Amino acid sequence: MSTSRLLTQEFEYFAPHTLKEALDLLYKYKDEEVKILAGGTDLLVKMKTLDMKIDYLINLKEIPELKAVETNNQGLKIGATVPLSQLERREIIKEKYPALYEGIKSMAAIAIRNMATLPGNICNASPAGDTIPPLMVYEAQLRIVSKEGERLVPVEDFLRGVGETIIRKEELVSQVIIPAPPSNSGSAFSKKSRVKADIAKINLAIWLEREGKTCKDARIVLGSVFIKALRAKRAEGLLKGEMVSKELLTQVARQAAEEIKPIDDVRSTAEYRTTLARVMVEDTLKLAWERAGGELEG
Amino acid sequence: MSEFKIVGKPIPREDARAKAKGELKYADDFSLPGMLYGKVLHSKYPAAKIISIDTTKAKQLPGVHAVLTARDVPHNETITRFGQSAEVGKGFEGLYRVLADKKVRFRGEAVALVAADTEEIAEEAAALIEVNYEPLPGVFDPVEAMKPGAYLVGEGDSNIICKFGCSQGDIKKGFAEAEVIIEDTYQVPFVDHAYLETEGGVAWIDEKEVINIRVGSQVIEHFRDVAEVLGLPHNQVRYIGTMMGGGFGGKEDITVETYLALLTWKTKKPVRLFYTREESILCHSKRHPFIMHYKVGAKKDGRLVALEAELISDAGAYPYLSPWVNLYATVNAAGPYCIPNVKINTYCVLTNNTFTSANRGFGAPQPNVAYESLMDELAYKLKIDPLEIRRKNCITTGKSLSTTGQVFNTYVALPEVAEKAWKALGETKKVEDKNKRIGRGLAIGLMSYGRMTFLHDTSRCYVRLESDGSVLIRSGIPDLGGGQVSLLCQIAAEELGVPMSKIRIYYSDTALTPLAGTTTATRQTYMSGNATLKAAREIKKRIIQKAAEMMNVNPEKLVIGEEKIIVKYDSAQYLPLLEVIKACNTEGIELFCEAQFKGPFTMVPDLSNIRGTIFPDFTFGAQAVEISVDIETGQVEVLKLVTCYDVGKAINPLSVEGQMEGGSIYGMGYALMEEVVMEKGVTLTPSFSEYIIPTAADVPEVEAILVESGGGLGPYGAKGIGEPSCSIIAPAILNAIYDAVGVRIKSLPATPEKIIRALKKHYFEGR
Repeated sequence: MSTSRLLTQEFEYFAPHTLKEALDLLYKYKDEEVKILAGGTDLLVKMKTLDMKIDYLINLKEIPELKAVETNNQGLKIGATVPLSQLERREIIKEKYPALYEGIKSMAAIAIRNMATLPGNICNASPAGDTIPPLMVYEAQLRIVSKEGERLVPVEDFLRGVGETIIRKEELVSQVIIPAPPSNSGSAFSKKSRVKADIAKINLAIWLEREGKTCKDARIVLGSVFIKALRAKRAEGLLKGEMVSKELLTQVARQAAEEIKPIDDVRSTAEYRTTLARVMVEDTLKLAWERAGGELEG
Repeated sequence: MSEFKIVGKPIPREDARAKAKGELKYADDFSLPGMLYGKVLHSKYPAAKIISIDTTKAKQLPGVHAVLTARDVPHNETITRFGQSAEVGKGFEGLYRVLADKKVRFRGEAVALVAADTEEIAEEAAALIEVNYEPLPGVFDPVEAMKPGAYLVGEGDSNIICKFGCSQGDIKKGFAEAEVIIEDTYQVPFVDHAYLETEGGVAWIDEKEVINIRVGSQVIEHFRDVAEVLGLPHNQVRYIGTMMGGGFGGKEDITVETYLALLTWKTKKPVRLFYTREESILCHSKRHPFIMHYKVGAKKDGRLVALEAELISDAGAYPYLSPWVNLYATVNAAGPYCIPNVKINTYCVLTNNTFTSANRGFGAPQPNVAYESLMDELAYKLKIDPLEIRRKNCITTGKSLSTTGQVFNTYVALPEVAEKAWKALGETKKVEDKNKRIGRGLAIGLMSYGRMTFLHDTSRCYVRLESDGSVLIRSGIPDLGGGQVSLLCQIAAEELGVPMSKIRIYYSDTALTPLAGTTTATRQTYMSGNATLKAAREIKKRIIQKAAEMMNVNPEKLVIGEEKIIVKYDSAQYLPLLEVIKACNTEGIELFCEAQFKGPFTMVPDLSNIRGTIFPDFTFGAQAVEISVDIETGQVEVLKLVTCYDVGKAINPLSVEGQMEGGSIYGMGYALMEEVVMEKGVTLTPSFSEYIIPTAADVPEVEAILVESGGGLGPYGAKGIGEPSCSIIAPAILNAIYDAVGVRIKSLPATPEKIIRALKKHYFEGR
């Protein structure tokens, strides 16, 4: 029987003070079972309730450079161990990245957000991760570092399936890089769950770029409807380069609902998720369009 | 009528300060040197034969002190009790089996026990126990389980564990007279108690060889049941009850106490055992799911003429308190209405699901869902206002309960509470969103407080007035967090004319405090409140008698208050309480008293036709809600919730409001989201990430309206409120959904998924 009270297994614990030390450890133990601790809100639960073998646990929270948030004209760079609650308190995130702000606010309870981190939410690779659709619509990239170098990978390419990512055992995500959105763009996030602090039945983020009455570019990402966050590309295609009208948004929403591949689970049903997706995409499209400065007739 | 100084005032509770400061020691906040950690090995199949159990490897693990199976339990099979001492006959007795033997009946059943130096070792040892199972088909649906030839859950020849009936009038004649008949089936699911504090405690053996069990329990009288399992005299087992982080009926049965006692008895060391949240959900009792077939007949003017109901409930794998719960359901099945022709049949059936037992409301909330939905249906069909149809049919003072015929001679507040609740919704809220529809729902109900009268219930309390004017109370009362303990302090303070700060209370100890009975059945205000009142009044009488002698006045002219004995209408003439105490002590006048309060006693009823007085009294209430339903997502938002009950007398209005608000939210969860999902006996919702309850952020505006008729049997005319407060909100919400969008949800919880499906069906059929 699973137990949420105990960490029953033995493992070695490291809390390195520099990134180099952390990467050396990852390299040294790359053939063993190593887990990285950033916020721990998912990891600790898994360690207690699943049969998860761990030999080494590396806590990143003592590394100063991973606690930094850098902002400039290019965008945002968020260190691996910055808690979500710190992000939601930053004016720039609320103003420029409303979908991310709303995604974080919708997540769990305050106590969890005080611990949880962005890379944690991404690396956990839950199909329902609330920060993933926003990061994907903003085309966020992950700085992935190892002893041998670094690479930049878009969040979209990073995720492979339920709990699966492309990260290698000697690597860690050191930073989330979010480019600054153009000024004539707008974005929004939406989520439906059973109670306020809960995992999503569906979550989604939409980003639209406006040129007059036309939608120049669009990104629509839905979570909890497939094995990983899903981009509704055909729906995006219906929008790109088109004059935006209510009818068009309704059509785009219908298309998005057709693209998802939801399942029945303990939180909801596939049938209901499809209904929800259409309603939520339509509402969120309107909001994102308004935020981009667009108007809707009728 | 004297004016109250402390009773009826919204004062901080006796336990408030320690709880606010985090100083109160709950069951989990306690340890002893050399303490071992207990662990239960639970069955991994819902139905299986146990071929063999090999504990060799587990026993060999260093740090393991004991590994026990059924054969190590002196009396592994006894009878399920819940603190009663009167004989009640076979109809209610069920098998209590400590550890699974030969056959497992549900997934999560205790198969073996381990005690080890650390919790980690105990866990590892449990995993090393080799149980060889032969899986059996099992049966998971009570309707299937009732059929002849069904898989037999237990060792008996039928899965039906009880059948109850009650009737009045002539049901055939009743329906023949009816001008409109509605027939429908309603279903309610398994739900969990979801208390903050899971089941657990610490046990040790003292120098007198007594097994002490420090545990959170609603029924400390289980010390007798634990003693019988071990084959020890009753006085060799002692319960030390702690303040609880919620009970809701889940700590009414034995939880882990027998396991603790066995492990400490075998190892002779202190043992600690706590259920994890997962164990609490998987292995301990749930609320009974019911399938309820109802048929209601009425005249065109809305007058009810006949009601027939068949209730089938799922007992899960063992009886526990199922017969009692089903008795409550049967008595409540016709609701708070005057119906000349009634026929109720109730069946309770074993299955290989997790066992069901007491859960706040104890069989009352389930039928309430059905009959209050049907009343609403009737109102719509006959185009009568929901309040009007209830006013027209509800029981009023002097009328009787339509199931048992029990007559209500005290004030029946139903029309009053219904009107007040409905009116308090105020003006309809405006919503901007064009997809949101507003709806309102009303439900009324009644629920007993105090135990069934044929249980011959009693409560005792000891009160002592100290020589310095302070007061000591000893009562066996368990406190679930509802303020049960503080209530007794308030009564003693009022009666003896001292401030709350001068009262000290010791509670919930079977060796040292007089037994006050269970904190169940919404009985403590009534029973232990009266026992405390009786003891305090006895002491007061002696004080006043002595003061009268000292002042040379008639004792009837004296009152007690503010630590003085005062002459009525002349407050300048008084004696300080201390002086009178001194005089009493000098003369050896007893300033202590242990009093017993007895509820009314009746005979065990005929279970095939339950008639007459079954309960001492009832609490009447009404709940009304305003909600919005999003027609595109099916999402329900409760905008306003009004809860109105005749509480008789609110001894502490803050505690009463707390119960009424908490009960409403408990019921709101039942209505909208809570369900322990079991698939072929396997729980799919084993933690709070799957099993969802309302959080603080989900709580709507709640208005609690207290009616104080003074008509209750408790001290100062108080009635019980704990369970009644949660039992009718679910149908009020279902009725509001119907009002908003025209679909009737007939199975709880009313999730957005169900509402959308019903809306689509409604939409297509409507065209």
